[in-house]
Amino acid sequence: MSRILGIELRRSAALGAVLTLLVAGAGLLYAAPERWSAGWMPLVMTQREYLVLLWPLALAAGAWQSRREHRSNVAELFVSTARPRAQRMVPTLGAMSIGVVSAYLAVLAVAAPWIFDTAGYLPAAAFAVAAVGGLALVAAVWFGLAVGRLVPSLVTAPALAVAGIGLLMVTPVADGSREWVSLVFSPMYGMGQYTDFQTVYGRVSVAQAIWLTALAATGAVLLASGSWRIRVAALLPAVLGATLAIMVVPRDDKFVVHPIDPVAQEQVCAEGSPRVCVSRIHSGLLSEVTPLAREALAILAKLPDPPTTAHEDTTTYYPDTAPPRQADVVLIPVGVDKSGHLAHKATVLSEMLRMVGANTHGCDAGGDTPVSRAATSWLTGREPVTDDPEEPAELNAEAVTLWRGLQGLPAKEAAARVAAVRRAALDCAELTGLLSRSAR
Amino acid sequence: MRWLTLYLRSRRVPVALAATAGTVVLMWSLWTAFSETRDVGVPMVILTVLLCVAALTATLAGPDDALERTGSLPWPRRRAAHLLGALAVVVLLLLATLATGARFGPAGLVVRDAAGLLGLTALGATTVGAARSWFLPLAWTLVTLVLSLPETAWAQVLTWQIQAPGNVVAGLTAGLLATAGSLAYAVAGPARQAPAEATL
Amino acid sequence: MMRTVSAAETAPTTHPWAVHAEGLRVRAGRHLAVDGLDLALGTGVHGLLGPNGAGKTTLMRALATVVKPADGRLTLLGQPVDGRADLRRVRRALGYLPQQFGFYPRFTVREFVEYLAWLKEMPKTAIPGAVQRAIDRVGLTAKADARMKTLSGGMLRRAGIAQAIVNDPAVLLLDEPTVGLDPEQRLDFRTLLRELGADSCVLVSTHLVEDVVVACTDVVLISEGRLVHQGTPDTLIAQGGQSDAGDSPAERGYSALLRRHRAEAGR
Repeated sequence: MSRILGIELRRSAALGAVLTLLVAGAGLLYAAPERWSAGWMPLVMTQREYLVLLWPLALAAGAWQSRREHRSNVAELFVSTARPRAQRMVPTLGAMSIGVVSAYLAVLAVAAPWIFDTAGYLPAAAFAVAAVGGLALVAAVWFGLAVGRLVPSLVTAPALAVAGIGLLMVTPVADGSREWVSLVFSPMYGMGQYTDFQTVYGRVSVAQAIWLTALAATGAVLLASGSWRIRVAALLPAVLGATLAIMVVPRDDKFVVHPIDPVAQEQVCAEGSPRVCVSRIHSGLLSEVTPLAREALAILAKLPDPPTTAHEDTTTYYPDTAPPRQADVVLIPVGVDKSGHLAHKATVLSEMLRMVGANTHGCDAGGDTPVSRAATSWLTGREPVTDDPEEPAELNAEAVTLWRGLQGLPAKEAAARVAAVRRAALDCAELTGLLSRSAR
Repeated sequence: MRWLTLYLRSRRVPVALAATAGTVVLMWSLWTAFSETRDVGVPMVILTVLLCVAALTATLAGPDDALERTGSLPWPRRRAAHLLGALAVVVLLLLATLATGARFGPAGLVVRDAAGLLGLTALGATTVGAARSWFLPLAWTLVTLVLSLPETAWAQVLTWQIQAPGNVVAGLTAGLLATAGSLAYAVAGPARQAPAEATL
Repeated sequence: MMRTVSAAETAPTTHPWAVHAEGLRVRAGRHLAVDGLDLALGTGVHGLLGPNGAGKTTLMRALATVVKPADGRLTLLGQPVDGRADLRRVRRALGYLPQQFGFYPRFTVREFVEYLAWLKEMPKTAIPGAVQRAIDRVGLTAKADARMKTLSGGMLRRAGIAQAIVNDPAVLLLDEPTVGLDPEQRLDFRTLLRELGADSCVLVSTHLVEDVVVACTDVVLISEGRLVHQGTPDTLIAQGGQSDAGDSPAERGYSALLRRHRAEAGR
């Protein structure tokens, strides 16, 4: 059997399918590397999203391979042989599935060097997501083989591919706001990268794997079937699998639309002091972030009772998670650019020092921009400027006035006033006038 | 007239026409059943055009082209007429839906995409054979639907199918594919196919 | 090239005939192509002759277990094959070259013969040797690793013969095996036939009367689905006289038999 498998690998459509899927997958990934440069989990999830192209291509490859028997007129000869049809189909099924899985892994292998040195967090969920992606392609190829055998026309393969991409594009819209349905039946759903901490729950991967295995089994049974009774019986695994998958997937109130991985959000710290920490998924960027963060802490050290540590800002929306508000922690905004390194390096420092380094998440808009801007400018020693062209000119002018006023004061008094601004910002209190009157 | 009927039967055109019409009817029914708007979404229009062209792909080669080439008929003009007929079928079927409740349009998009895809298919039929000529149109169309590129000229060439009907770059790309494909197919005809069986 | 012979192969057979048909009726579409045929074939090379439409190909297909008989009894190697019997055991000892020989164009000759050997459930260790032996016996050794789509008509036919003999079948059915073979290759084929007929039952359907007379131990003439004559080639020649149509004694015997059969059927 292994020799026959080798023959089929060489002589069937498996090689062509590998090449097509590899070029398509790698091309799509490298067309927009900023979508996945943050780490391993974003990589496997983005690759799953691109199943929207790879899945229909796999369907078409299976249907095309199935045409070989019809084209070559071998039915007469093969009927007279001893091996039953089910066993005869095993090398074809095996060769095509080896082909598509290899292509899927090869796409990962081609993309991995891009992030190899900066990606720091490899969770088990990443393996599950990639495995389900490979399984999706196997199910597509086997189902394509089955359909190609049942309808051996030349138009089967393109029609199946169009039906596949139609299904994938329509399922999210047609599920009637029951998103868990799309999660089960669409292998590319639920992979949106809204933050770098996205993950996929294990239960969801299991449910998807159940459905895809059932689909693959249906395809295999249809391909090996000799009589119409077995063909009707092939619906059974599909129905069973769908039911089981729907039971396993978290539904309705247990369903979380874009789950966050709390382990990815945990802070990982650099050596030395003052302490600088980033989230686990960005731990590869620690060496780039630490100097900038320490510089910001050094600037803030002018204050009495200055903050001593810098943590990454791991705030997310939908679902809302926010780091606890602590007085001695300054938040670092960490983003990843398309080559995997720290994004917006030039503005990290100024972003850290906004609102005098205070964490104002969750505050309603109570901050007074001229006051906070003037206070920050006193720390950096540079004149306040605005980067927003829409802002009315009076705001920055007022900030400049306040700043000049601060510079005229003795250092201790100015520091005390700026510290008061910081405390007020931490308390979500009003900032107006704090720089004009003396701190108590 | 006799020659025409025999030719159409040898290329299995009636089956292909039925498949094309069936595709349009199916897509039309799907849209009417599941959507409220009258104008069909552009991705669905493009996919319908692709399927119609794919259904007519099989007619681009006969069972024994080597034998047909030995005839004294001037084939290039007949092949060109065949392509024009295929284009007319696709365009007329889809433009007929403009009068109904699910409009596959705009007309300029349908004509441009049908011409370009048919030219690409004909080019494929000349180079790799009619059986494989749907590979590139399918792959290109799917990639066009999936990629979202910035609006540069190269991106417009790459995703020419979904550009607006008035877009010059996309129109030029489609025109180039259509002319190159039709010329190649008319002059060279479908690629030679190896026999798949040893018959008597 | 020699091969080892297993004990099972040298055991005496318990069935009297390799192929035994009694009142066999087989349909081809709606037409009853084989109509009440009684046939008993033992070891040796049997040539199957008959006019076009006589039911030769349908008979071959029924013997190859491709179509199920509509009526009558058919026994292959002692096993009945007309009911819902399990045909696997019989098919392992079968070799069949159809009239329309379909193949996978991308496979090489060796790969295709190996694939067919696997399909006939040959033991895994025996396959490579058997494949090489079959390819050598048909004279395709030089082209063993060429893709089948690059072969000419005669070479394809020989590749078909190779896949039919790869499992040393007890019943070998060849439908028009000499199509496309040049005269020298036909001579080699006759030698091969004589070798094969020494210990298996070979049924060769052909229009070339000369091949039948020279290489076959037995001639079976069927017409309109019925058996007209079965006997040695000499008995076929004896049937003909100078007044019958034909350029050789065998052809004269053939046309004489057919003329008599049609005259009887007309009565």
